[in-house]
This record gives sequence, structure tokens and C-alpha cells, in this order.
Amino acid sequence: MYSLEVRNLTKTFEKVVAVDNAAFEVPDGSIFGLIGRNGAGKTTTIRMMMGIYLPDSGEVVLKGVKVGQEFKNRVGYLPEERGLYKKMKVMDTLLYFAELKGKNGRPIQMKAEEYLKRFDLYDRRLSKIEDLSKGNQQKIQFIGTILHEPDFIILDEPFSGLDPVNTNLLKDIILEMKSKGKVIIFSTHLMDFAERMCDHIAMIDHGKIILKGSLNEIKKKHSQRNVSLSYDGDISFLHGHPLVEKMADYGNTTGIRLKEANQTQLLLKMLVERNVIVKKFDANDISLQEIFIEYAGKEEGGSNV
Amino acid sequence: MFNYRILGIIKRELREKLLSKSFILTTVLFPVFLFVIVGIQAVLQMDEGASKLTIIAEQKALTDSLQAQLLRSDLMKEGKFTFDFFTMNRNELRKYLDENKKAMLDDKLTGVVFVPDTVFNNKIIQYFSKSPNNFTLSRKIEGPINKVLINAYFSSKALSGEELDFARKGVDFSGFKVSKEESIKEEGFGSLILSYVFAFLLYISLLMTGQLMLQSVIEEKASRIVEVILSSVSPNEMMTGKIIGSAITAIIQMSIWLGAIISVASSAVFALPPEIVVSIKPVQVIFLMVNFAVGLVLFLSLFGMVGSIFDNPQDAQSGMWPVMMLIMIPFFVAMAMMQNPNSPIGNITALLPFTSIMVMPVKMTIVEVPIWQLVLSIVVNIIAIFFVFPIAGKIYRVGILRTGKKPKWSEVVKWLKYKY
Repeated sequence: MYSLEVRNLTKTFEKVVAVDNAAFEVPDGSIFGLIGRNGAGKTTTIRMMMGIYLPDSGEVVLKGVKVGQEFKNRVGYLPEERGLYKKMKVMDTLLYFAELKGKNGRPIQMKAEEYLKRFDLYDRRLSKIEDLSKGNQQKIQFIGTILHEPDFIILDEPFSGLDPVNTNLLKDIILEMKSKGKVIIFSTHLMDFAERMCDHIAMIDHGKIILKGSLNEIKKKHSQRNVSLSYDGDISFLHGHPLVEKMADYGNTTGIRLKEANQTQLLLKMLVERNVIVKKFDANDISLQEIFIEYAGKEEGGSNV
Repeated sequence: MFNYRILGIIKRELREKLLSKSFILTTVLFPVFLFVIVGIQAVLQMDEGASKLTIIAEQKALTDSLQAQLLRSDLMKEGKFTFDFFTMNRNELRKYLDENKKAMLDDKLTGVVFVPDTVFNNKIIQYFSKSPNNFTLSRKIEGPINKVLINAYFSSKALSGEELDFARKGVDFSGFKVSKEESIKEEGFGSLILSYVFAFLLYISLLMTGQLMLQSVIEEKASRIVEVILSSVSPNEMMTGKIIGSAITAIIQMSIWLGAIISVASSAVFALPPEIVVSIKPVQVIFLMVNFAVGLVLFLSLFGMVGSIFDNPQDAQSGMWPVMMLIMIPFFVAMAMMQNPNSPIGNITALLPFTSIMVMPVKMTIVEVPIWQLVLSIVVNIIAIFFVFPIAGKIYRVGILRTGKKPKWSEVVKWLKYKY
């Protein structure tokens, strides 16, 4: 069962089509990644899902019903450009966010205290936001996103601008929410994050969804004929070799695409024969990055809409 | 219309504004300022007393009648004046002045009034003092002296008592306010002062509240918090909440200010001189508040709209001028109205949206305004809200999520056509 469906969303600014007939489905209990480079239309899509922008056409449907305020209340949203009221106190800020979602009273306050303790911010609960470090402000922002116990968590480029500690913290939150059966949707241009965390993805480029589905299936479908290789030695003989369709260097690993799927054993044999020390030979493996480049082409300049 | 989200925003606005230093300062400082000014005036008036005057005439008869007249006059009742009376010629006067020079410089003697014989030719009397231009004093003693002179001058001529009475009288220009309900009533400067106070308070409050609204919208936009808020509430709810929150703040402030004025005006502690006694009628206060509340919503929509267009206060100031004109024009119309209460511009602007917020309350204090006009001005304002609010809301909705370079007005107009 798909819990959330995005149906043919289109949004045009002036004459620029930011999102073009985008459609994808978010399954229950999944971590869903909306991936694409900067300016591909991720933020616009998410804003339409949140009802912040009205789409020119299309709709967002939750279990068969078009989403509205009821849905907003069930979502915890962390925009790419995050902000807090600088002069407001930490506790007041959290309670205000929850109040706007329709949650107030003693239970929510206790919940806020609980989170603050967990994030080592309990003694700062009466401080003004502006007196907190940037990292701590980010923590407050996370708490504000999940305090009202949303069923959906929508994060727009959640890892941009986070320090390593907070990156891990946010990852933990996401996994914890998943274990509680919540749906997590996040957009990112960082393929390795998406690859590590998502079970479903939709790939967006120039406003169009160019690929979508379960990450495993997508990878399976694309990984045939693909070998990811770590090695020591010289593999330059493979350039232009009749078995090899193309090669790409990703730093630690080299991706090799063969012309036929059943030639991986042959490739391994050749490497061993040529005294290349094979550290890792992962047949039928492909990184999301490779798939992305295959679909969307090499990175080119794009501006954020 | 008022769901918990709007209430939440209103509550936050109130907490932020009512507890802000600037609000507390301006709200409390104004009454303090008012009390101090009125208080100082009261103290000064008390202090003014204890004037010691020497009245000198060249003729004994004149001295006697001056003495009789002055001692009988209202001045003596006030108990602040003491007089000495002498009959001297010019040489004796000069000697007397030399002797008493020190007393005058030390304020022991306020002044010397010399009534020479030539007074019956040119009606000029001489006043010697450290501060000869004390108008309050000269105004007070002028009357009795004039009376004596007239009596003395006409006593040799054959005139009836009535003719003398008429001659004695100066021209007294007393103002009467014509109103429907009550009988014609004598009017001091009170209503003029009240109209000035009303115009001034409305002007200040409107500017301050508008500026705060503008700043707050820009801050939300610049700090990017707006998108977090918009994930819970709609832009219209957000704007509505902010407008109502700001309006309530302004109304509380205005109530405190008016309360201070009413208590000063009606209090016996500050015995105001009768000419400037301010009489405030409940209908004036009620209308002012209602009209103010409605007008505020209209103006705050505009301030919110302007704030949403710009990223920073500097740009916003340049985009503010059309709204500022809408505040300044009625202020100047209101000021002009005090000179000429029945000017056509005043009558028209008292009924127009944006201007009526200031002009109508001011007009009310100076002339009698029929009820239907009061109601009409409020109705016109409410209708204007129905036109302005959706436009402002639309621009707010687009502008609040826009960042980057300062948009042109032509672009802003295009936003109206966007489907957001």
C-alpha cells in the first residue's frame, strides 16, 4: 500500500517549468529519497507536497484522499533553509511549533524536556535561541520537527550545513522514526547518503522524474554487467578492451561496465593473470552515483529555484 | 476563521510585542511625560503668585480710585498680589525707582506701574520691572486700570451710566460650539487641544505599529523561519494572526494613552486653567478605538505586504514610501482641519479608507459629526479591508518565500497573477 502518492505535479515560475508532471509513490514505513542535483526541482516538489506552493496542476494524495491541513498537522517538516526566532527562548520555541500543529499542554512539554535532556540541551531550555551555538540551534530545529510525533517526516536537504555530530544525530533520528513505523521523505543531492539510507527513491532532473522505485530493484536492474573494483596495479589495458563497454574512476573504486553480463568471471581472470592485486571485486554492483550519472548525465551548472 | 493556529500566532505576537522593551517604554513613557508636563505647568502656575506691585499716579484722585478698583478686583481674591499705592510726580518717581532698584532686581518688588497725567491724552502707562514683558501680569492688571481711566475721563463729560458701561468694555471674543443635542455651549481651547492630541497619538501609534509589523515580517523572512511556520499554517492564517496580534498590541497601547489623558483631564489634582479644560466624551473615545482597530487592520495588511516583498530593512524603507504617504497625508489633513474644520478635503478624507483613521476622530472633536458619517467611515474601511486584504495576502504569499534581488514593482504586480 502506498501511503502517499504524488500525482502529476506541475509548477511553473514565470516561464520556467520547475516541476514537470512529477509523479511518484511513497510506500508505508519507508525511507524515501528524492534525489537530484541542485535546481532539479526537489524543493519545489516538497513545497507542493507541504501545501506551501499550490501546484499548477496535479495533486498529493494520502490513502486516497487529497492532502490538506490534516496532513500538515501529521508532518514534521525541516526546510532546507532552516530558521528560528532568535529572541525566543528554547522551550517557548518548541512549544510554539507544537502548538501550531495542534499539540499543547503538559504531555508535549514533558516530551520536549525529554528530547532536550537527550540532546544535552536541558539546561539551555530557558536560553534565547540567539545565545545557542549553530550546532545547538540545529538540534532545536530537529526537536521542533519531530516533537509533535508526526507520522510523516519530510526533510529538504537535511544534511546540508550539518556538522558531523549532528549529521549522525539526524541519521539516528531518521532510523529511530523508521523503526517507529513513520514515513521519512528526504531530498538530497548527496548520492551516498541516499544510497545508505533510502529504501525507495525518485530521481528528479530538470523538473522531471527520470527514475523511481525501490533502491534494491533499481540497483539490481542496473548492476548487471557492472563491476565495482578496488585494486593495486595497472589496469590501463582495460581501456578499449573488447569486453569493456566503459570505465569510470570514482576514487576508491573503479566502475567497469562490461558488454555482456556473463563476462564478469572472465574479467576477474584477466585481472589476476595481469598481476593486478584485487582488493575488492563486487560483481553486479552499481552505486547510485553511477546510475544517476547514467540517467542525468554529467554535472552541469544549475541554479537553485 | 479563528482556529488554534491563528490563535497560536496571535499569542506569540502578543507575548513578543507586549514584553518588548520598546513597547513598555513608549507605552509607559507617554503618560509619564504627560503627567510631568501638566504637573510642571501646575507647579509653575502656583509659583507665579506673590507679585508685589507699586502703583503710582501723578494725581491723588487717580491713585485713590486705582487703589479702590484694584483692591476690589479678582486679583485680590487670588491672594497672589500685594499693592502699594503712591502719588508722585516724575522726579519723585525717578528717585523712588533708584531707591527700589535693588528690591526689583532681587525680586522683592515685581514692578512699578506709573500712571502719568499724559495718560488722558495717549492712554500710555509706564511699567518698570526686571521683566517688563510679563504678559500674564499686564493682562491681569490692564482691565482694572482701564476701568479707572475710563471713569475718570468720562466723569467730566455728560454720559449716562449705560454709555459708560459700554465704553468700559473691551471686545471679548468667546467661542461657542454649536451642536445638535445640547444647548449651545461655550468652548475653550480644550477641543482644539484634544484634536491635536488625537491626531498626534494616532499618527505615532500607526507609525510605530506599522514599523514593528514590517520589521517582524522581514525578520521572519530573513531568518527563514517562515518556511517552518508555513509547514503548519497557511500564509493567510499567518498574516491574519500577525495583523491581529499587532492590532491588539496597538489598541492596548492606545487605551493606556487615552486612559492617561482622560485621567489628567478629569482629575482635580491637575487644576487646568478653564480655557484649556479638555472634555472628552465617551462617544469620541469609543469611535476612536473602533475606527482605529478597523483602520489598523487595513494599514497592517499593507505593512505586512511591503515587509514580505523585501529581504532587509534597508530595501524595505525604500518600498515604504507609498504607505508612509498614506499615514502622513491624513495627519496633515487633520492638522489643517484644526484651522478650518469645514474644509472640503477634510470632509471627504474623513470618509475615505486609510485617511479616516486619523481625520474622523479629529473632526469629531472640533465639529459635530452626524452618526451616519461615523458609521459610514467605519463601513467604508471594512469594505476596503475586503479589497486590500486579498491583494496583500497574495503578495505576502509570494513574497515571503522569495529571496534574492530586490524585486521591481512591475514584478510585484505580476505576483498577483501567480497561482500560489
